[in-house]
Amino acid sequence: MDEPTLIRHAANGDASAWEPLVLAHQEAVFRLAYLLLGDPDDAEDTAQETFLRAWNHLKRFDQTRPLRPWLLSIAANLARNRRRSAGRYLAALTRAFRNEPSPASVEEKSAQTMEANDLWNAVQSLNLPDQQIVYLRYFLELSVNETAEVLQIAEGTVKSRLSRALEKLRVIIQQEFPVFADKRERHEA
Amino acid sequence: MTELERELFEDQLISIAKGMDYPNTPNIAGSVMTRLRASMPPRFISRPLAWSLTIILILFSSLMLIPPARAAIIEFIQIGIVRIFPRSTETPIDVIQTTSPSSITPETATPSLPSSTLIPSLSRIAGKTTLADAQQKVDYSLLLPTYPPDLGPPDYVFVQDAEGIMTILVWLDPHQPEQVMMSLHFVPEGSWGIEKSKPRVIEETTVNGQRAIWAVGPYPLRLRNGDMDFTRLIEGNVLIWADGSITYRLETNQTLEEAIKIAESLEPIH
Repeated sequence: MDEPTLIRHAANGDASAWEPLVLAHQEAVFRLAYLLLGDPDDAEDTAQETFLRAWNHLKRFDQTRPLRPWLLSIAANLARNRRRSAGRYLAALTRAFRNEPSPASVEEKSAQTMEANDLWNAVQSLNLPDQQIVYLRYFLELSVNETAEVLQIAEGTVKSRLSRALEKLRVIIQQEFPVFADKRERHEA
Repeated sequence: MTELERELFEDQLISIAKGMDYPNTPNIAGSVMTRLRASMPPRFISRPLAWSLTIILILFSSLMLIPPARAAIIEFIQIGIVRIFPRSTETPIDVIQTTSPSSITPETATPSLPSSTLIPSLSRIAGKTTLADAQQKVDYSLLLPTYPPDLGPPDYVFVQDAEGIMTILVWLDPHQPEQVMMSLHFVPEGSWGIEKSKPRVIEETTVNGQRAIWAVGPYPLRLRNGDMDFTRLIEGNVLIWADGSITYRLETNQTLEEAIKIAESLEPIH
């Protein structure tokens, strides 16, 4: 069955039709939650909550539209709320201790992964709306149209907000990640 | 940043982001489906199947309103302790069958009769007594028909132990004194189950607003207690209904309308 058919069945209460849809989109939802929250457990909880909320509101979903932007929109909202919650700070501290890499593991990581982590750290310096748009567009590789769907804004707004976010990001990289900036300049040259 | 610089920067971001070391995606689908099913009300059948079953149920209920169809569909009809088997493959007989033959005393039943003997001699029926004595022996009220007005008291009264004390009132045909005109059976709860097989017509009706069954003969009746048989008294029709713990059987050669009038005219003995 194609996605619109599965959505229609699920909207009529057929839970078995919802399962393949969760499987199809769970990775994107989980990854966005992880990028926004930085913790795999928080990301998993958020992803589960995303699919449960979507199931509960499926009757109100416009079945002519693609499902993924809607799911990512729910996930982004839930992650934002989770970041604001009182327990978030404690969770971040716990995560910082737990995830602190050992020198050996750092060496084992590939240069590309290190670079990606630097980029992620740089993006985390942006405000939340800018982070969201960068993650959606460059990390999850959504099109401008899909990004607009997730953020429920016009495509033109996506472009202008992306432009501003990129300017800020470039400054952050130049100031706080000079090695990464050097590589980028060499790449541009 | 020029347009070109921006495009290059975007390409670089996408390229670098591909190296992101995400944790393995957990089994979110499994967890979600478990939570989803736990929160849903029990649902053992799919919606299409539920619709199909609903339609079948409606059709079945409609068929059950048609007596011949109902008789063809169900295995038996139960009213009081009487169980009627419309589709029995056995010889068409009404049977009162003991559920525990060993507990029945033989003298309360008559010896087996040849199957051709439909109307037995009343002298061969066990438990003959008087109306007053019968009322003394049973713990339920014996009722007498007040219709037709000239019916009078029963000509014979029998009380038999059939796990419960069963009473049989018999009226003879005044024009043919050797023939039984009507009999009324009082069968208390706990008595032998009365099983009737394959009457010609079964019709559902009411007696004093209570559900009743009208079974049309002729067909032989036999009350069986192990190897002891008891044939029916009338080659006619039977109206069966229950009131409280007593099941009533009115054997008569009258019409259904007359039988109902008789049944609804029952009053306690004064």
